[in-house]
Amino acid sequence: MFNERQLQTLHAAIDRIIPEDDFPGGVEAGVADYLLKQLGRDLTHLAQDYPRFTDALEAEAQAAHCQAFAALEDGQQDALLTRVELGEVEADWPLDPAAFFADFVEHCAEGFYSDPGNGGNRDGVSWRMIGYEVNG
Amino acid sequence: MTHYDAIIVGAGAGGGVAAGVLAGAGKRILMLERGPRSEFAQVPRDHLRSQRGSFYGHNAGPDIEGNPRTLEDGSIVLPHQRGYQNNAAMVGGGTRVFGAQAWRFMPQDFRMASIYGVPEGSSLADWPIDYEELEPWYERVEWEIGVSGTDSAMTHLPPYKRPYPMPSLQPNTAMRTHMKGLEKLGWQSLPMPQFINSVDYNGRQACIRCQQCVGFACPVEAKNGTHNTTIAAALRSGNCKLKSGVMVERIDCDDGGRVRGVNWIDNAGERDSATAEIVIVSAGAVESARLLFNSATKREPNGLGNHSDQVGRHLQGHYYPLAVGLFPERMMDNLGPGGGVATCQFNHDNPDVIGGGMLADDFIVLPIISWKIYVPRDIKRWGLSAKQFMRDRYRCLGDIKGPVHEIPSPEGRVTLDPKVRDKFGIPVAHLSGTTHPETVRTASFIYDRAEEWLRASGAEKVWGYRPDLRLSGGQHQAGTCRMGEDPAESVVDPWQRVHGHDNLFVLDGSVHVTNGGFNPVLTIMATSWRAAEHIVEQW
Ligand SMILES: Cc1cc2nc3c(=O)[nH]c(=O)nc-3n(C[C@H](O)[C@H](O)[C@H](O)COP(=O)(O)OP(=O)(O)OC[C@H]3O[C@@H](n4cnc5c(N)ncnc54)[C@H](O)[C@@H]3O)c2cc1C
Ligand code: SF4
Repeated sequence: MFNERQLQTLHAAIDRIIPEDDFPGGVEAGVADYLLKQLGRDLTHLAQDYPRFTDALEAEAQAAHCQAFAALEDGQQDALLTRVELGEVEADWPLDPAAFFADFVEHCAEGFYSDPGNGGNRDGVSWRMIGYEVNG
Repeated sequence: MTHYDAIIVGAGAGGGVAAGVLAGAGKRILMLERGPRSEFAQVPRDHLRSQRGSFYGHNAGPDIEGNPRTLEDGSIVLPHQRGYQNNAAMVGGGTRVFGAQAWRFMPQDFRMASIYGVPEGSSLADWPIDYEELEPWYERVEWEIGVSGTDSAMTHLPPYKRPYPMPSLQPNTAMRTHMKGLEKLGWQSLPMPQFINSVDYNGRQACIRCQQCVGFACPVEAKNGTHNTTIAAALRSGNCKLKSGVMVERIDCDDGGRVRGVNWIDNAGERDSATAEIVIVSAGAVESARLLFNSATKREPNGLGNHSDQVGRHLQGHYYPLAVGLFPERMMDNLGPGGGVATCQFNHDNPDVIGGGMLADDFIVLPIISWKIYVPRDIKRWGLSAKQFMRDRYRCLGDIKGPVHEIPSPEGRVTLDPKVRDKFGIPVAHLSGTTHPETVRTASFIYDRAEEWLRASGAEKVWGYRPDLRLSGGQHQAGTCRMGEDPAESVVDPWQRVHGHDNLFVLDGSVHVTNGGFNPVLTIMATSWRAAEHIVEQW
């Protein structure tokens, strides 16, 4: 579904949606795994759009910085994503940047905060972070 | 073909109680349930697909595929989608995964029209029975199914004749904070009565205070539904045959109005049928109406019991205003089920609105539900600040919400879709209309009280959801086969026998005339118990 470059962009973007701090960032916590699983399950209708989204992020990075999105500094990535969030893009987007970005953010949160059975939230790391315990 | 004393359609709250009573009285019964009979492990604790957070599906049925309904705008909705008005489909019905709140309605709830008058365009009406009539059955259910609570705190009701069989669970941190808020406001404060074992009861253990109660099955069966009480007893008696995974397609009725039996289809598509002395419809408010429509005869071409065009009308549930507060200190201490302190200060006697509703704090909110619904709308939803908001403040969120007594409208209704069919080829339910707009005013009033309570409890910031006008039903669905003396204005008589049919009964939420300002299941069980005992007495 994603080629190598698209996957790099996706991972870089996920790690800005849920950045690493004292707790793992999104990719390490399994958000990409969640997303890939969902693209074959409930989000099959986005299986074409997600690679397009990463291509568009890439094009945006090239237009603004002549560099790959994944190679940008954190701050540059954040600034670029903020423009996408606001729909203020420079490159040609095959999909509505603001709307797709909002969905992307939700999907990342689902991967991070839902139960590990869904493929993300590795070993319940986000639950440990926020203090949600499960017994029984 | 086997002949039974009684066939019960639907193994939920009402049907489950009916099974227990009839089998206990020695009647040979057949119970038919379209959903599965699931063990704990077969009801997934999936935070994206549960009866609590149905983002991509749910965990207690019906199947997403093959069970559509249709809406007024012509759209087809799936069971987990908004507008479907789903409850659950498995042995135990909604009680398999419910939140276990065990509320009695108030005496006033049975006399809404007399107290408030009938707003134009609404079908607000009094019940043909009153609180006094139902009280012994409330008590019976509280003891037989098992409810924990504190009767002396239920000051909004006439004094209990018998206390609850189990004490209330010990309060958690959020409850203690909210109790202080109520004290400050001078509002009534009570521990919510719950179908939860606070101590070992009826051969099952006490609640272990887990964090995944509402919307899920209980890991230790300390949550008392019909599946582990009345249905279990019916099966033990040897008098009840339970068939799960079968969809009843049609009730057979002769030209004289006498019901002969039912036809069903199993998951493999095989058709079968059985006959019985009586048939009890307990399929839940939407599906019971649908089944009556689908059982039309020459004599009743618009559906059994539908000679007065009442079947399917007055569909009600609860508007559920929700206010969320951000607290300076931690509210969430992981001591489940959460949701335990309530006030009935505003169920009645409110200035300028009809009725009201109970307010209570909430069950432990799953992290992803907190993220999607409870975090403040104005925080940035990505980046470090979003992550750190959840890290630092997830446990500081608290909320107050409650079921508002709806003002029914005859236009809020279930009919049959003329074209769309389910996977078995049976015409599906079509949902149209809305609740009466007066409900919105009451809900808005109740929402303001929820905010007030949160502030008094110490919330530094409060926001929430004020309900809009819409059709209601969902997990609290009721009203589609009204109980009444007059066949022109109701579907069943006060003993829940379908007008014009000696041996056809409806025992579920459908018979509620109005749905109270409370979660409805204790009342569904109490009316069903009463009606089932009456059936046995009259046999
Ligand atoms: C997550 C959740 C939380 C809840 N929390 C509470 C709470 O805290 N307190 C409270 O009071 N209420 C609560 N409820 C609501 C409560 O469960 C319902 O009010 C109650 O179950 C309704 O009872 P009923 O008998 O009308 O129908 P149900 O319990 O829905 O039973 C109907 C049964 O009939 C079956 N059926 C339908 N059609 C057919 C057919 N044609 N053939 C065969 N079988 C059929 C269905 O599959 C279902 O199992 C909750 C519900 C849910 C889902
Ligand atoms: S809180 Fe957990 S253990 Fe207690 S009744 Fe609910 S599901 Fe069962």
